[in-house]
Amino acid sequence: MQYNRRNFLKHLGFIYGSLLLYSSCNGNQKSGYRIFTKEEASCLIALCEQIIPADEDPGATDAGVINFIDKQTTLRFPDDEAIFKNGIVALQAFCKEKHNCLFEQLSSVEQVSIMKDMERNKLPGEYWQKANQASFFNLVLRRTMQGFYGSPRHGGNKDYVSYRMMKLDYPLLIGQNRYKDGK
Amino acid sequence: MANKHVNVIIVGAGAGGGVIAKELAVNGLSVILFERGEWPVYDKNANDELISQRIQELGNAFGPDWKRNPRVLISPDGKRTTITPANGGYNHNAACVGSGTVSYGGMAWRFMPEDFKLKSIYGHVEGSSLEDWPVTYDDLEPYYEKAEWEIGVSGDETNPFAGPRNRPYPMPAFEYNREARHLSETCKKMGLHPFPIPMLRNSIPYNGRPRCIRNRTCVGFACPVDAKNGTQNTVIPVAMKTGNCEVKTGCMVANIIIDEKGRARGVEYFDSKGNGKTQTADMVVVAGAATETARLLLNSKSKLHPNGAGNNNDWVGRNLQGHVYTGATGLFDFDILDLTGPGATMAICDFNHHNPGLVGGGMLCTEFFQLPYAFTGNRPSGSARWGKEHKDYQRKYYYRSARLHGPVQEIPNFDSRITVDPTVKDYWGIPVAAMSGGRHPLDRDNCIFLSSKAVEILKEAGAVQVWPRGIPGKVSYSPSGGQHQAGTCRMGNDPKTSVVNPFGQIHEIENLFVADGSVLVTNGGFNPVLTIMAIAYRTGEYIVKNFNSIKSS
Repeated sequence: MQYNRRNFLKHLGFIYGSLLLYSSCNGNQKSGYRIFTKEEASCLIALCEQIIPADEDPGATDAGVINFIDKQTTLRFPDDEAIFKNGIVALQAFCKEKHNCLFEQLSSVEQVSIMKDMERNKLPGEYWQKANQASFFNLVLRRTMQGFYGSPRHGGNKDYVSYRMMKLDYPLLIGQNRYKDGK
Repeated sequence: MANKHVNVIIVGAGAGGGVIAKELAVNGLSVILFERGEWPVYDKNANDELISQRIQELGNAFGPDWKRNPRVLISPDGKRTTITPANGGYNHNAACVGSGTVSYGGMAWRFMPEDFKLKSIYGHVEGSSLEDWPVTYDDLEPYYEKAEWEIGVSGDETNPFAGPRNRPYPMPAFEYNREARHLSETCKKMGLHPFPIPMLRNSIPYNGRPRCIRNRTCVGFACPVDAKNGTQNTVIPVAMKTGNCEVKTGCMVANIIIDEKGRARGVEYFDSKGNGKTQTADMVVVAGAATETARLLLNSKSKLHPNGAGNNNDWVGRNLQGHVYTGATGLFDFDILDLTGPGATMAICDFNHHNPGLVGGGMLCTEFFQLPYAFTGNRPSGSARWGKEHKDYQRKYYYRSARLHGPVQEIPNFDSRITVDPTVKDYWGIPVAAMSGGRHPLDRDNCIFLSSKAVEILKEAGAVQVWPRGIPGKVSYSPSGGQHQAGTCRMGNDPKTSVVNPFGQIHEIENLFVADGSVLVTNGGFNPVLTIMAIAYRTGEYIVKNFNSIKSS
């Protein structure tokens, strides 16, 4: 890629932003996420991917929805952190006991079936003392849609995957209707 | 150091406040225009669906600040919930110079002659405070014209139901986009009368700014090329150019100072640094929109007005109205959208009045385009909310769905209202607005009727699946308002049953005026902004003519 002034500044900003994050945030440096452990992220990624699965077009994982959730929960919705974490703990406890493995290790059919129950508050209540399963599900659903369809500047929709899928040019100004790579 | 005394303080730089500021400043009066927000900056949230006026998932493009500006929502059983602009029911209007005129889609409706005399036409409605206006369409016609030419409207004269006009629009109408071309043919076949929506946008270069580029992000966003006309890029700059008008942004007005004799002396406000200050003036005009205007008056208590300015008869904050939007969405087996922005281009007024068994009605129009996130919520009920099926729907129907909908003329009622909460305060320590009451049951009947018409048209247009939307439930009881908020300082001739006279002057306080949607008696079956502008022109003219006599009385 050619380094014109604009790109240079953009990348400088990006690097600077990342550095700031590392030095100022006591997040989980090992996992690469701000608030999630690697284990929590694996579970959440599996949930998001079922909400928008990859097919001929990219899905939630390819769009970096997990990065969006991680970033926006940190920046804007700190109260959601507990909902995500308690929800993941409850879901995994259920999966371990009933299926003897983690949610992300289940088959797609099993994952979908569990999520449909969760959506309707139908998973066994004993695992959901600290978290409401439907609220947890709805939060994951909402953030996944936002991360997938929102502007890439918020951390998701990587490489404009959803805009491409929807056949929308970007940005929106006439004369500038193109993606960065010219596709 | 005390601020320099001025002729007129205006609180709120939106549709009404901006127009008044210009009218007074060009006629030589010194004006301070207070605005709690800042000047809008396009690049701050350029085309960002998740931070727009319509969707505030990740923030709020034009203010007010989430954390500093709570309001309270009161449920029918009296339960009070503190809410922010991110919550439904907040009555969220943009808080910036220009206010809603920065972020609106710019529909430029004149109300119909019938809209000013509902009670005469339909009679008394039980459980309502329905009333005729003290002014008629003909009284407002010259001011509508002034708003259309000074602020800039594109349109034509093909709506057979519109009131008579003395002068054409300054700019030609916008061309239909694909769905409007298709649906207008259908409407014509059905004997209806489609026409291009009049818009506060430039169809040709106007007032030194370019023509609309017809991008798909319009309503909810600022315009990238400044082709959308609001008070921030028309009348407010004109006012400032005279040297008579100072715009003070970031300033929160806390109360109007009313002296022992019952005259307004100025306002107390917090400047952008949070310092409490006083500004004196010969006259005060409140234009903060129906929610904040009522709150400011109610918070301005004095010896002669212990329940708030202009509120000795308990009418301030009453009759809060907005618009229920109702209609239908249809799915087609061919591409019907071409994304030629901003979406809404065609309307019909066949169902605004004289519908059998109903009081009023509403306009129906095509809809502004939805971006992909908003579209995830646009489904017939029972559709998959997630998974492959959901994704397939996004891909299959984004260009194959069209919506026809419109605002229903709400029947005002006395208990739909703004009060001031006794305990909850904002960032500055000012008691906040509380919304309570609900809509009149007749609004539901209008919604059922209007949406059934939208269903008929979409079916006739070849939609393979159609479903109605926006019909309130039988027991739905939530406060009215929203961006089209109106009615809380009703205009009337009788001081006992209204707050301001036909010129926006508060009956009880001669040098205090209201110039926004608050003064509307009824809210029309249309977006109200052009009517708010027209009334502000009329009030401005009245103030200029009578300034000396009001000042010296």
